[in-house]
Amino acid sequence: MRLGHGERSAIPVVLFLLAGFAAPLIAVIWFSFMPPRSFSFGGAPTLENYRTIFESSSYISFLWSLGLAFIAVVVLALICYPVAYGLVRVFGRWATLLTLLFTIPLFVSENIRLYGWVLFFIKNGVLLGTLKSMFGWQLESILFTLPAIIFGMVYVYLPFMLFPMTLGISMVPNETRDAAFDLGASRWQVFTEVELPLSMPGITIGFLLTFVLAVGAIAEAKVLGGQQVIPISHDIEIAFTYAQNWPLGAALSVLLMLVVGVLVILALRRFDLDKFLGRR
Amino acid sequence: MMQSLPILSLKSVRKMFGPHAAVDSIDLDIAEGEFFTIVGPSGSGKTTMLRMLAGMDTPTSGDILLRGERINDLPANKRPTCMVFQSLALFPHRTVGQNIEFPLKIRGETPESRKARALQLIDLLRLPQSYYGKNVLKCSGGERQRVALARALAYDPQILFFDEPLSAIDYKLRKTLEKELKDIHRETKKTFVYITHSLEEAMVMSDRIGVMRAGKLVQVGSPHEIYSAPNTRFVSEFVGDVNVVPVSLAKDGLLHVAETGARLKPPAIPPGFTQGHLVIRPEFLRFLANAGEADNAMAGRVYNEYVLGSRIQYQVRVGRNVFAVEKLRQQAFKGKLDDDVTIGWDAGDAILVTD
Amino acid sequence: MANSSRMSRRNFMQQSALWAAAFSGAATAMPGAAFAARDKELNILCWEGYNSAQVLDPFRTSTGATVKAESLTNDPTMINRLRAGETNVWDLINVNNPWARKIMAPEKLIKPLDRAKFEPYFDKMMPAFKAPYKWAMDDAGAELLGMVQRFGPYSFVVNTDKVSRATAEDQGWNLWNDPANDKKYGILESDDWNVFCLCCIAGFDPFKMHSDEEVAKFTETAKRVFKGAKVVGDIATMNQSLVAGEIDFHLTGGTYSASPARADGHPEIRGITPKSGPMAGGKGGISWIEVTSQVNNPDLSPLADQFLEYVQAPDVAHKVAFAEGTFNPVAQMGNPDCFSLFTKEELDAIQWDSLEQEMAGCAEYDIVPDYDKLLDIMTAAKREASGG
Repeated sequence: MRLGHGERSAIPVVLFLLAGFAAPLIAVIWFSFMPPRSFSFGGAPTLENYRTIFESSSYISFLWSLGLAFIAVVVLALICYPVAYGLVRVFGRWATLLTLLFTIPLFVSENIRLYGWVLFFIKNGVLLGTLKSMFGWQLESILFTLPAIIFGMVYVYLPFMLFPMTLGISMVPNETRDAAFDLGASRWQVFTEVELPLSMPGITIGFLLTFVLAVGAIAEAKVLGGQQVIPISHDIEIAFTYAQNWPLGAALSVLLMLVVGVLVILALRRFDLDKFLGRR
Repeated sequence: MMQSLPILSLKSVRKMFGPHAAVDSIDLDIAEGEFFTIVGPSGSGKTTMLRMLAGMDTPTSGDILLRGERINDLPANKRPTCMVFQSLALFPHRTVGQNIEFPLKIRGETPESRKARALQLIDLLRLPQSYYGKNVLKCSGGERQRVALARALAYDPQILFFDEPLSAIDYKLRKTLEKELKDIHRETKKTFVYITHSLEEAMVMSDRIGVMRAGKLVQVGSPHEIYSAPNTRFVSEFVGDVNVVPVSLAKDGLLHVAETGARLKPPAIPPGFTQGHLVIRPEFLRFLANAGEADNAMAGRVYNEYVLGSRIQYQVRVGRNVFAVEKLRQQAFKGKLDDDVTIGWDAGDAILVTD
Repeated sequence: MANSSRMSRRNFMQQSALWAAAFSGAATAMPGAAFAARDKELNILCWEGYNSAQVLDPFRTSTGATVKAESLTNDPTMINRLRAGETNVWDLINVNNPWARKIMAPEKLIKPLDRAKFEPYFDKMMPAFKAPYKWAMDDAGAELLGMVQRFGPYSFVVNTDKVSRATAEDQGWNLWNDPANDKKYGILESDDWNVFCLCCIAGFDPFKMHSDEEVAKFTETAKRVFKGAKVVGDIATMNQSLVAGEIDFHLTGGTYSASPARADGHPEIRGITPKSGPMAGGKGGISWIEVTSQVNNPDLSPLADQFLEYVQAPDVAHKVAFAEGTFNPVAQMGNPDCFSLFTKEELDAIQWDSLEQEMAGCAEYDIVPDYDKLLDIMTAAKREASGG
């Protein structure tokens, strides 16, 4: 078999992608079949790790991760859509650029930002301390509770929802709005019949992006949630560190990738991007 | 007398954007069933005016009357009017059928009656019935025009507005669509209000034309009137190339050209005319064997020719000025470039405008 | 002892810098010295502190060597790195007391030190470390396996404004057996130490094989204790929560974790060693002693030896005790030259007033034979606690 000039030129890139992307993935998958608590690739492949997982209570962590991600995505959608809508209506095509400002906090480590919120929410901290000294209100702190975790996730992943949503909404041509309105549609009908479906590519990308990120979230539950909830990524971390059971951690990772992969594929089927973009 | 009530009346309609009047005190009556076209260069305020008529903008002052009723504040979705947009504004996530059915769906009609009406309109617009389920983005430019028009017709409006829908279409297809649009106007008997920057396009289709400039309607009339009796240089220059000569009325009753000192026989002189422009359309200029063959004559030199299809345009230099002379192919100039020639026209073929 | 998520920014930055330094060093050193011996290079795998610039920079300056120190916050991880073949990377390994003698020496992961050279240093240490010091020696008592420095008691920490020191010492682990304390405490995430503490709460010695009955009791205790925790987190979170009043005390902790808060003006945060408990001899607390050993590296850097001597110097030992992060007593405080370097504030931060008494009340960190099983149970318990 002879390779054409183009194929030959592509070899370095292909090798680079294989080395950088496929190789670690394959390593993780392979490791998940190694005997428990072993540290080499040389053991006899076994399904032991998967058996352990299915017999354990790991499903709780999976459910937490998926559930928290789902709630975070819904809350983000409810917050970001109106904000993105307003940004686009007020700033027009500058809106997308403007949402990039929301990514500035990403230059600060997530842990540091979350610790900042700990100081905000903690008893006698910024929030409760101020309420106490100004109004004499003595409220229970929400730190180390479920709402604090969700708050953290919404806070951390906001830019990842806002940016694609703003992009999506700014892709709706103004004249299609006018046209629908002119053809007799009420404001609400313009929204449901035209704006929502036409901004769906952005919304879908925002949903998928934040969901995939949120499923892998760990710091929010640790820092703001005080580990009141153990998401699956935390389980994986424990397996790789304290438990020193790399094959188990690898198996958990593989399962997480599978679950997320299947959900993403199902979602993409449901919301066919090509169809929205009119390529089909 | 009900017949004579205009379907649409504008009374001193004005739209201000800050200190700038985009539409400046327009008075206009449009008759039932008329194909009325507003022509103007970009920035002349025609789109703003159309948006006010359609209900997407409200006038700053003045009134818009629909069959005598004030509709200034009636929003677009409550007006019995519909607009075909410049971009067409088709719904890209919908099929041809769904696009056409949109206003019917909004109105709550059953899917069966919606489909029946959509297929009727697809027929009317000369599209194949199989297009009902086709993605609009898969349609060609001309097909999209038809879908947009069908969608607007499905709304069953009393007035249809058009915002330069043909401007992005290539020449040949545009000519076809212009004629089709005129046919559909005849078939539907609806009032069409059309805006364009092309007077040529307006002439083909319209019953009446209004020429807009800087927010004002400068002339309203039939295509024939606009062509043959423009009231300003601005209007005259809107139809293709014209020869414009600045003139003043001399005491001897001739037109005096200050630049060359020439004296020309005038056409009918508008009352109160002292100075302005003499407009001579290229097709009224002739090549003369001798200067006495026409009321006015000038010596010049042919320096270029452009073949325009059925016609040929010659550029003739007269002093420092250039005159365009157009001849039908079968009456073509027999000489060659750089020949010295005499050109001329009869006084009555030229037009005097003040502005 | 701190959890591994704290292997965060600081460590990341340090490592990045190290890698950058390593690359640039390699680039400049390559042409002439490709096959040079490792006499200008030293790699240390350690708990945080030994990797600080305060400790390493003078050594770098005096030797001109490239010193790379990677800090981890977990003993088993470090040992597994050696097991995975990194013995030819590292020169020194710094872990808690039992690993050298019981695991690394038998597995030939480390090699003994020159007794004649290093034993005299033990004589200058605090009395408890007089040679031959058990955790520095092999089982037979013939070979010296490492040097000691930092140590401390590590049981739990209370805010003495909420629970008095006397009450805490008397009640000991039973604080966690009182349902009234639900949601008043936190747990410092440190999985191996959490296992020890849960054993103590359940009422048996952690450092032995456990019966099925004890494992069942452990399971029940783990679930209950995690369920009752208001917060599980790292040292910073625990100290913040104690100071702010979110919690009154937290499981797993001592001078190592409480010293930063104490040094920061919160003397009410105090490590507690229970007066009694289930360990051998009725002891209630657990202590740790770090042992630094030479890795069994086929191409060991000669600087390894030199570095072990270097950190014995009084001023360096003082720096190790108060390296960035956490503050700890060091064995070298037995030498008056070293002790005199500590200010009153520093002594307060490391609870010097009760140190000797606390250490006497502690059993020493040891290997838990069925650790893996107990850890799995605890991990599941933690997860299930979040399920409700």
